[in-house]
Amino acid sequence: MDTRLKHLAEQLDAGLIARREFLRKAAIVTGGTAAGLHALRTMAPAQAKTKLRLWLFKSFVTAGNDVVAKQIETWAKDKNVEVEMDWATFGDREQKFVAAIEAGNPPDMAEMNLYGPMRYKAALRDVSKVASDVASSKGGLLPFAERAMKVDGKFLGVGRYSMTTVFFIRKDVMEGKGLKVPKVYDPDVVEFAKKSQDPAKDLWGFGQTLNRSDDGDGFMSNILWDYGGGVFDKDGKPAIGTTFLKQNTAALQFAVDTIKKHGIQPPGVMGWTDVSNNEAYMAGKLVTTNNGASLYYAMVSKKHELAPKTTLVLTPGGPAGSFVGSSCYNWAIFHKSAKADLCEDLIRYVEDEKRFAEYMQVSVGQAGPVYKGRVDNPYWKSDPNFDAILQNILRSVNIGYPGPMTPAAAEVQGQKILTDMAGRVVVGGLSAEAALKEAHVRVEEIHKIRGKA
Amino acid sequence: MATVHPSSPPLPGGERVGARGGFHPDVAPRPRAALEVTLRRLLGPDYRMGFLFVAPIVVLVLALVAYPFCYAVYLSMTRKYVGMPPVWVGLENYVRLTYDGFFQRAVVNSFTFTFASVAIKTVLGMGMALVLTSKIRFRSFWTGVLLIPWVAPTVVSALNFLWIYDYSLGVLNYLLVHVFGVLSHGVGWLSEPGTAMSSVIGVNVWRGFPFFGISFLAGMKAIPGELYEAAAVDGATVVQRFRHVTLPGIRNIVMIVLLLSTIWTFNDFAIIYILTKGGPGGATMVLPVLTYEIAFGAQRLGEAIAVALYMLPPLAFVIIVLSNYMRKGRTR
Repeated sequence: MDTRLKHLAEQLDAGLIARREFLRKAAIVTGGTAAGLHALRTMAPAQAKTKLRLWLFKSFVTAGNDVVAKQIETWAKDKNVEVEMDWATFGDREQKFVAAIEAGNPPDMAEMNLYGPMRYKAALRDVSKVASDVASSKGGLLPFAERAMKVDGKFLGVGRYSMTTVFFIRKDVMEGKGLKVPKVYDPDVVEFAKKSQDPAKDLWGFGQTLNRSDDGDGFMSNILWDYGGGVFDKDGKPAIGTTFLKQNTAALQFAVDTIKKHGIQPPGVMGWTDVSNNEAYMAGKLVTTNNGASLYYAMVSKKHELAPKTTLVLTPGGPAGSFVGSSCYNWAIFHKSAKADLCEDLIRYVEDEKRFAEYMQVSVGQAGPVYKGRVDNPYWKSDPNFDAILQNILRSVNIGYPGPMTPAAAEVQGQKILTDMAGRVVVGGLSAEAALKEAHVRVEEIHKIRGKA
Repeated sequence: MATVHPSSPPLPGGERVGARGGFHPDVAPRPRAALEVTLRRLLGPDYRMGFLFVAPIVVLVLALVAYPFCYAVYLSMTRKYVGMPPVWVGLENYVRLTYDGFFQRAVVNSFTFTFASVAIKTVLGMGMALVLTSKIRFRSFWTGVLLIPWVAPTVVSALNFLWIYDYSLGVLNYLLVHVFGVLSHGVGWLSEPGTAMSSVIGVNVWRGFPFFGISFLAGMKAIPGELYEAAAVDGATVVQRFRHVTLPGIRNIVMIVLLLSTIWTFNDFAIIYILTKGGPGGATMVLPVLTYEIAFGAQRLGEAIAVALYMLPPLAFVIIVLSNYMRKGRTR
């Protein structure tokens, strides 16, 4: 019995209160308790927060990571949502996605790279509505970004930002030697490197690995395009060792020659990973290198002595022009998520121009535009080095170029076929043509298998 | 439950007749009864209880080993992409791999990496054990020091060697060129075909030889001192004592260590993945790294499992030999 009712009963027994008084007070106590319980019952669901699992990309631009995390936390507080954030890096994101999808336990939403929509299309939700809404409010998507996120006519990702590579040059060395910015790799970069390097002091003119890495693979893609070649033809069929054999042979031979013939690269370059050229450049061992803006961010944020001595220029080209592939980061929602509306709300929130600007400001050029409306942002004129980043993004092409972006093209990148091919020449002793034909067999196989998917 | 007499005849429905049911010696035993008798003879009178006791572990083994293994075999015979249902292709993955030059190089690299590493570890481990059995000062201290590579996490060791081997910033080239003046210029340890494989073998050896040394040391300590004294009295030299007393005394340990290390080294992933990712140009690509690359790079899970299962026959052979050795050791 409720202690208050018991007390009232005792008072009644003792004759301290009248029966009417007892009934009145008892009614108040029981009625109040019932009303209270009812109120608590209605409040309970309101207090149990909805949980949202979110995987974010942990980029080297740590300040940007902090900004987006803070924005999501603010949104979650406003919406009374409990957000469980997890981070995936360059090195482990694919493993995490594969494991989660195969285990049937993916997050509700994830930040993906260029290949995400294509690779995980079977697990991703059609986000065409929110993607189109966001894009139309920002003047539309840049063509390369639209191609990356639209799979089989549907948007599987909502564009966020673009990450590209640019050509880093030690401005102090260039000016000291009276050299000009190179426009093409051969002969400009070769001559530039030869004149600017000093191997005796372990200073090398050019630092570009052809080893199995994203950096090496990106460079190999670019250089094939620069010479008018590529892995696939305009119809998406393998052409690396057939239609484009002549162009690709010249491109591959040039890439190999930077190591074997011209002697402009450090001897250990074929053992480099993605961070090796960053380390070598910041250690003052390189005059030029290709890298993402994260290297510039690292130097600027650490007030590194080479930051003011560095100039970022357009990636050099070849006989057919200058081509660059840029990544396009995007938000994807998984089929399994029962909170797609909430995810879409979060996407609209973080892609709001004011919030994106906050993210972009701290990213020191890493968060390039994927929307036409963001191209004209004054931010891109705030640092002379940003212009090269912006221009490289605007002229970006996708993997598979000159053909469409296909699952086979994504797999060629994933299997590092191009760097394996270069390695077969540099360290395996094959001729460029033989290596191209060997790579062609692998590409044909991938094309055949992926065609059945 | 009624007590059943083993020799009691079955009823028409196969039921046995107990004491209450009467006894009919002229009725021939039915097949089920004969089976029961056979089972008891073969498995022992308490075989039902025995099965009950081993049932939990059998279920666990089936669930955690047999089922995943069988499922892996099944997946290896499918075209399986991430997030999509598997499509049966039979032996297509195996056939394609057999004729794939990149895979063939990975097989050769795997054997080179394994046999070279195990051979060097055996020699160094034996040396370590012999030194530590001799009368040296601070023996416990040196034993502890030599165990450091073994106890250090593989990832940490590999990352350290990544830096040590670096051409420009690595300490190895710095020592060889600037401190000792052995070389006029540095070596691209992980970037040259001649040195990349040797370098990753070097790390595996550095990490693994203390296990050999400690195991051999334990075996040597178990050899009675009288055998050495007797051999010395007979005029045996140090080499002869090693050959005729030490080696036979630790033969079983050497075999077990060799076989275990062969399995571990064949499956070593972290060292090569961190140092070279199988590069340059596939020069250090081994089967575990190739499995990983096909699974997560190409995202072809069926084919990746087929690569992994290709390792099974040689490893199974090693495991069978190892099991036989260990069983022999137990029965002695």
